[in-house]
Amino acid sequence: MTVTAPELLVAQRYSKASTRAAVTIAAAWHLGSDLPSTIFGWSEYRWPLLALGAWILYSVIGVAASVALLNPGRRLPFGPWASAGLALVSGAVVIVACRPEAIMSAANWGWGSVGWLALILFWPRRTWPSDLAVFFLINALIMLAGMAAADSLDRVWIGKFLVILFGSMTLQAGASAGAHAFDLAAHWAADNSSILARAEATQKAAEQVHADRLRRYAQARQAAAPVLTRLAEGADPSDPDVRHQCAVGAARLRRLIAETDDAPNPLLHTLRACVFDIERRGVVVNLLTAGTVPPLPLEVRQALIEAPLEALARARTQARVTLVATANQVIISVLSDAEEFVVPEPDGVRVATQVEGGLLWIESGWTAP
Amino acid sequence: MDRERLDRPVRLAVVEDLPVVLEGMRSWVAADPLKRVEIIASGDTLEAVLDGPGADADVLLLDLELNGVLMIGRIPELCAQGRRVVVYSVHEDEETVLNVLKAGAATFITKGESAEHCLETIVAVAWDRPYVTPTMAGALVVADAGTARPMLSAREREALLLWFQGMNKQSVATRMGITEATVKQYIERARIKYASTGRAAPTKTTLLARAIQDGLITPDDIIEYQSFAADGPQN
Repeated sequence: MTVTAPELLVAQRYSKASTRAAVTIAAAWHLGSDLPSTIFGWSEYRWPLLALGAWILYSVIGVAASVALLNPGRRLPFGPWASAGLALVSGAVVIVACRPEAIMSAANWGWGSVGWLALILFWPRRTWPSDLAVFFLINALIMLAGMAAADSLDRVWIGKFLVILFGSMTLQAGASAGAHAFDLAAHWAADNSSILARAEATQKAAEQVHADRLRRYAQARQAAAPVLTRLAEGADPSDPDVRHQCAVGAARLRRLIAETDDAPNPLLHTLRACVFDIERRGVVVNLLTAGTVPPLPLEVRQALIEAPLEALARARTQARVTLVATANQVIISVLSDAEEFVVPEPDGVRVATQVEGGLLWIESGWTAP
Repeated sequence: MDRERLDRPVRLAVVEDLPVVLEGMRSWVAADPLKRVEIIASGDTLEAVLDGPGADADVLLLDLELNGVLMIGRIPELCAQGRRVVVYSVHEDEETVLNVLKAGAATFITKGESAEHCLETIVAVAWDRPYVTPTMAGALVVADAGTARPMLSAREREALLLWFQGMNKQSVATRMGITEATVKQYIERARIKYASTGRAAPTKTTLLARAIQDGLITPDDIIEYQSFAADGPQN
């Protein structure tokens, strides 16, 4: 999973909101219920300071667990179960602090409340349901032991015990399950959204490839169709004009093949491929380059190479091809014994020619806008 | 070094490790109708050539790569001894060309250059005249465009570019609407500008002195160019 995908950022924001909600509930419960219960039940305790100590221990565990939960970089020392053990101890301490007759009163807030701590402690764990179940079980056993010690195991007290136990467990496990489900839903939505985006991107890429293919097909057709039509209509293949046209068509097809190759310097690669073909025709070609070609869009490369390519294709016995490149200028020239022809001047490049001493010089230049 | 023209052939010493290239050079020299050059020594190491008759050569033709080792590091000491070094190589990338020139070599010829260019170069160097091979011209154009303070004028640059593209000087003149002599001047002046960068060497001083004598540049130009060299990049 990439963290940068916007869908996941949204999902993470939802996750954060649900963890904050869990922390807020636990804090509100501890301050709004446990604290008043301790203060107003002060007379119910055998050892009130012990109850206060339990409340403080609970608070410390709660703060540490919340900090660890809200800051992914931090971890609880000794893991969540160590803190969960301490939480159970704080619950047990409150039971011990209470007078035996007050064990089912509001003053014994600990055993009903420690579940909220467990909620935060086990929050990030995959095994949170089983962790919570084990925690609730131990908590219930501690309370039962406390009741046994206070000699309060009759039906009425057991009934009260079960009501409080199931009430608090339902609230705590329910909150955890609800928030986790919320989290899961957000992740599902994010995953769906990113799958959809990927599918759209794939489709767009396929459309682009298809469009490129059509464009290249049109170019290949343009390169080969006229001369093939001419030959089909009975043109004499030994006619120099037909041969020149064939050579130009072949060079254009070569360029189309070469320019899609994945080469570090596509312009030079295309130029070399064309030179190679023309050399095979028996023309002596001298290719010289100076400088490093800056990255150029395909249209510029095509425009830049068009006139030199035709001059090369029309060369009879010799050609000197040069490529001079600086950061903002690329110039290709061909000096060959080709006959003069109508030089193509594509958009975006400047083409110059000169004929002297039986040699045709063509220069095609692009300057950065 | 103050001879105007040599009344004898230029004495050339060749340091080359490939016999076939040496034979090619011999045949070019022999084929020159004016018999302007004579090979007086050859060998496959600098020591083999310079310890013998090669010590008195007018021009030292040095293959840049001898037995797989690049000789750029040896060029400064040769130039400091007052030797006119012409480097020739298959490495024709502009960086190599410039490093060779900065090291003090008079000229750079690629092995792809024609017999005519090769002999012209050797003779020009023997007379302490600047000679720019087309390959060098390409390297100068690119190097000049790549510096923060270009030294070449637009016309010098254009002349060098057309020269690199393979036009002869007459065609360059026609293209630029100037005389052939002016084309020659533009190209040579460009060379002189770059001769004044890099390491100082007696051969360079002679080259610059000749350039002033020929009216190619003025002494003021040199001061300006040397100040560039002082803070310019040195490899």
